[in-house]
Amino acid sequence: MNRVPRTRVAHAFRRTALPLASYYAVTLAVPLANGAAQSGAFVEHALAVLVVPPVAIILACTVHTIAHALASACRAAGASRRCCRLP
Amino acid sequence: MKMKLWVLAAAVLIAFAIKRHYADARADDLEWILSPTAQLAGAMTHTTFTLQPQEGYFSRDRLFLIEKSCAGINFMVAAFGMLMLALLHRVGSGLSAARVLGVSLLASYSAAVPVNAVRIAIAMWLAAHPVARSTFSAADVHRFEGIAVYFGGLVLLYELAQRLNRRVAPVGQTP
Repeated sequence: MNRVPRTRVAHAFRRTALPLASYYAVTLAVPLANGAAQSGAFVEHALAVLVVPPVAIILACTVHTIAHALASACRAAGASRRCCRLP
Repeated sequence: MKMKLWVLAAAVLIAFAIKRHYADARADDLEWILSPTAQLAGAMTHTTFTLQPQEGYFSRDRLFLIEKSCAGINFMVAAFGMLMLALLHRVGSGLSAARVLGVSLLASYSAAVPVNAVRIAIAMWLAAHPVARSTFSAADVHRFEGIAVYFGGLVLLYELAQRLNRRVAPVGQTP
């Protein structure tokens, strides 16, 4: 991963910090406060809850970066074709 | 500052009351959220959900039950808390505090219904199209899908709230 996508990922995490914190609070903190930690099923669920949102953020950034690069490449290709048609 | 603390305390009480109601409720008591969710999910998937007393909403042709745990109450509570924190800077007077509480509660309910309906529609599609020889079980896939849709819904709601927040006159400039 080069510098630009890393910055993009960091920016995405900052931008989604409040939704992420709210989601973790309701799905992890509240059940933990109610003593759900002893349950094996909760531990399994908690692992998924912890992992899926950050993975989704990174995936979304990757898709966005690829789409952005493709759009730039298409624009550049279109511009060069127009240049070639010029007399 | 004092007003903001009171509003936060009120928000915590409201969230606690919703969770308490959810914990004690049977499926029939959650009709206020299960019914619109079932109707919307039915419209999305071209199926009819009918109320099964004590159980929830059932689709006979898809053999799919929207039960109490599918009500989306946790999403609603998370959305309510998130919106309260996002709009807290707008609290200045008692009236603005009541407005922020009311808007957050209404918006969290309005978001919970479609987001949950989308989650159910995707879950029904996944149930009808199981991934062959997957590393994950059907229950795992259902869990991952639920987490991704709920978290995505929260992010979308937050972005929408931020955009509307920027459009509405800044705090202190309202008449």
